[in-house]
Amino acid sequence: MSRELREAIPFVVPLVLFICLFILLPVVGTFWSSLWRDVSFITREFIGFENYLRLFKDLQFWRATFFTLLFPFVSVSLEMIFGIIIALVLNEQFRLRGIVRGIALLPWAIPSVIGARIWQLMYRYDYGLANYILKTIGIGPVNWLGSPISAFLSLVVADVWRTTPFVAIILLAGLQTVPEDLYKQARVDGTNALQRFFKITLPLIKPIVIVALLFRTIDAIRVFDLIYVITGGGPGGITTSLSLYGYKFFLLGDFGYGSSVSIILFLVAFLLAIGYVKIGRFREAPL
Amino acid sequence: MIQERSKNIMLSLGTLFVLGFCLTPFVWMVIISLSKRPDFLIRDISPFTLANYIDILSLENLHFLDYLKNSVVVAGGTAIVSGVIGALAAYAVSRISFPGKIALIFGVLGLSMFPQICIVGYLYKFMSSLGWINTHSGLILPYISWSLPLALWILMSYFSQIPRELDKAAHIDGATRLQILFKVILPIALPGFLSTILLLFMFSFNEFLFALMLTTDFRARTVPVGIALFQGLHGELPWGYIMAASVISSIPVILIALFFQRHIIQGLTHGAVKE
Repeated sequence: MSRELREAIPFVVPLVLFICLFILLPVVGTFWSSLWRDVSFITREFIGFENYLRLFKDLQFWRATFFTLLFPFVSVSLEMIFGIIIALVLNEQFRLRGIVRGIALLPWAIPSVIGARIWQLMYRYDYGLANYILKTIGIGPVNWLGSPISAFLSLVVADVWRTTPFVAIILLAGLQTVPEDLYKQARVDGTNALQRFFKITLPLIKPIVIVALLFRTIDAIRVFDLIYVITGGGPGGITTSLSLYGYKFFLLGDFGYGSSVSIILFLVAFLLAIGYVKIGRFREAPL
Repeated sequence: MIQERSKNIMLSLGTLFVLGFCLTPFVWMVIISLSKRPDFLIRDISPFTLANYIDILSLENLHFLDYLKNSVVVAGGTAIVSGVIGALAAYAVSRISFPGKIALIFGVLGLSMFPQICIVGYLYKFMSSLGWINTHSGLILPYISWSLPLALWILMSYFSQIPRELDKAAHIDGATRLQILFKVILPIALPGFLSTILLLFMFSFNEFLFALMLTTDFRARTVPVGIALFQGLHGELPWGYIMAASVISSIPVILIALFFQRHIIQGLTHGAVKE
């Protein structure tokens, strides 16, 4: 054992121990559980991949998978587009930047459950703020959480509210590292604002854009709190994410099947993360 | 000139819109918490009242103060332990070039991307077998592990800014590595270390799924779970109570976010911006 390793071990052992005991062991345990018929009050039985075969034939599972892929795609796309626009605005606007930046952190800083509760109240059909505003400008009330599409969009809006300002702040930090001289030179060369954005800004902040994209996607894929509070997975199970679907089986005491749902979600997140890392490197190389 | 002015107006309007979108739900939360009835938009104006606040702070069967106490104990305990363990590891990672270092950093970062749901089912059984369901330690231990990637990542970026010459000087004076960490590095990185602790507090204070699964009643239940499970007597949600509880529990994290925004943003973006 090298001297460096001997010196480092006492410093990293507590971290490694905690992570192995409460993260790695549970994940391995979940995989192991997924190979059993493991329902409360029934004798456990090893069944190999039977839970996964059951998943394959489970329509509600496929719906949840579809939702789990569509939700991040829609909400993260919106968050990135608005995030970049807000970051560009904040980068120009010097006087208010400090205050705006502080306020923009708030939706992200409070517990997600609280944000979800506020949106749930504002989406109420009878006395919610959203319908009140619509009524004032002359559009009829919308049953926000009652129909599949509007329930989906309601969740997207609440998620965009919670995380776009945060994305914008991260991207703003990236924008501030772009040297002002580059823009001056480009202006002298007679480029317009759009050209400057695509030729100078975007390539330079690409690494941080990809980091933000990766973190937001992984976060949106495991969405739970928001849905648990606002729609409870409804109407008709249409907004059930894989996290919520797995949780419902845990709640029923069906640990084997719930575990197999969780493992699928794990694989989806893992593949996506690898995809992003690949894209990130691939695009960095030519720069 | 005209172009410059219209650009400024556009920028101001954009900023106003963003502020409005961010703040409206907060304003609504406060308004409902101060109203006698949540449905005043379709009925007559509801009188201003502090009753919701007084009730949730005084009615014992609502258990809000219990939830708040549990949250502070759990998040506080987590933040301190996770901060210290994270500081130890961050020191090793930023100062000692040991084999497997890169694998450790990225392994830990990768772990933070695991969906909580693949941990929580097994964790529930694990904690049940230890008899730790519905206890503070039953939450603190998983929270420490779950927040360690954040602690390591942020502290690493703070520590790597401190010149190594200081370590060398202390080493020549005969200090051990542990002494160097606690007597040289930590005092210099103190503002960064404290804001990391606060960020960890915020992170654990806001956590929902573990707390939902691993607690059963007011003896260990935290604020987010309490707020998500608030039920009225007759099925109708007690919105006034929910919003008053939300306002009170948002205050600490809002203060942290406002006072330490610079540090929070710096900590969160450091790795990403620099590399």
